[in-house]
Amino acid sequence: MDVMGILDLLIGWMEKVDKRALILGFSAIGAGIAMIAGIGPGVGQGFAAGKAAESVGKNPKGGRQATLVMLLGAAVAETSGIFSLVIAIIMLFANPLVTKEGVGIVLAASALGAGISMLAGIGPGIGQGYAAGKSAEAVGKRPGLQSVIVRTMLLGQAVAQTTGIYALVIALLLLFSQILTK
Amino acid sequence: MENLDFYNHNIFPIQIGDNQFWITTTIVNTWIIMGVLFVFAIIVRLSLKKFEDIPKGFQNVIEAIVDIFYSFTSSTMGEKNKGFAPFYGSMFLFILLANLSGLVGLRPPTADIATTLSLALMTFFMVQGYGIKSNGIGKYIKGFFEPIPFLFPLNVIGELANPVSLSFRLFGNILGGTIIMALWYSMPWIALKIGLPAVLHAYFDVFAGVLQTFIFVMLSMTFVSSAMEG
Repeated sequence: MDVMGILDLLIGWMEKVDKRALILGFSAIGAGIAMIAGIGPGVGQGFAAGKAAESVGKNPKGGRQATLVMLLGAAVAETSGIFSLVIAIIMLFANPLVTKEGVGIVLAASALGAGISMLAGIGPGIGQGYAAGKSAEAVGKRPGLQSVIVRTMLLGQAVAQTTGIYALVIALLLLFSQILTK
Repeated sequence: MENLDFYNHNIFPIQIGDNQFWITTTIVNTWIIMGVLFVFAIIVRLSLKKFEDIPKGFQNVIEAIVDIFYSFTSSTMGEKNKGFAPFYGSMFLFILLANLSGLVGLRPPTADIATTLSLALMTFFMVQGYGIKSNGIGKYIKGFFEPIPFLFPLNVIGELANPVSLSFRLFGNILGGTIIMALWYSMPWIALKIGLPAVLHAYFDVFAGVLQTFIFVMLSMTFVSSAMEG
């Protein structure tokens, strides 16, 4: 059987399955995929922790401040993970697609798409963590400049978050709006 | 979870001519926050007569707040743009109270894209206006064709993307927190609603709320002051 034949069979089968079951099934996959975005904050926060440990080792006097900056930066780097969690939990506990009018396969694919969209969070997670690590290192070296460094770090992290925010907006649109179901 | 509720509700309609407008949760909550700020401002204005040369108590707090806004503005926008402090100070206080209003059970107005986009559009028009005012219309238009004329479309898109990313950053963060809190409160187990929500509120409302306020105002300041430098 050629590829098109297999696709025809799959899509034909999906159309026969109960609409609700199809949406819930795809939501399950979507929720799982959304949480893969956790890779980003994990890598980023790990890097930040490593850099902070290094700078405390080099200059124990600036240790308390370096730790503070690391925690602040890591908390910001967590944002993408929280966005993914929000989307996954909505799909699991409060799925708005189930009660929506429309073709089953489109609604189901919306759930999957919302999950995949959240993968973009990997980027901001790693990037913000890197910024947090470098800031912790800098504060460890020169604790006197803490406030300036923290401000620059927060500003840069906010800009780095932009694409992750766009992904969240698209995921929320797929879940809550009526764009594809008219 | 049938009682999950984080939506912006239509409360009652207003008919103007043929158009129907809905008064939403956001509008009501915005007016509540504005009311709080008005009352605070009036209290400060009335006590202004009693202020002395050597501050103490209430006067000390007010002077510290004003001082912080002025030094924040001048360190971000430069000493000569210190005059922006009252504007950005009011913006800061409004966004801060809006973000923190989740603590008293209101739905934060900043969890509505209409609020955040209007705030971001103020920055957008200020960027264009002050860009023209301080550099002249010729240099302003020339700025779109730099470094090479070929990049004109990209420059325009980049300029239009600023208010979008600025508004969605605040909106997404606050909405995320609002959804998580609504999910938590709609859980069927009563035991989880004792004590634990305080921790979640501390992170999603206080930490994220203050941080996003700070970031929104600081980015707005940076956009405007860099447009003025040309």
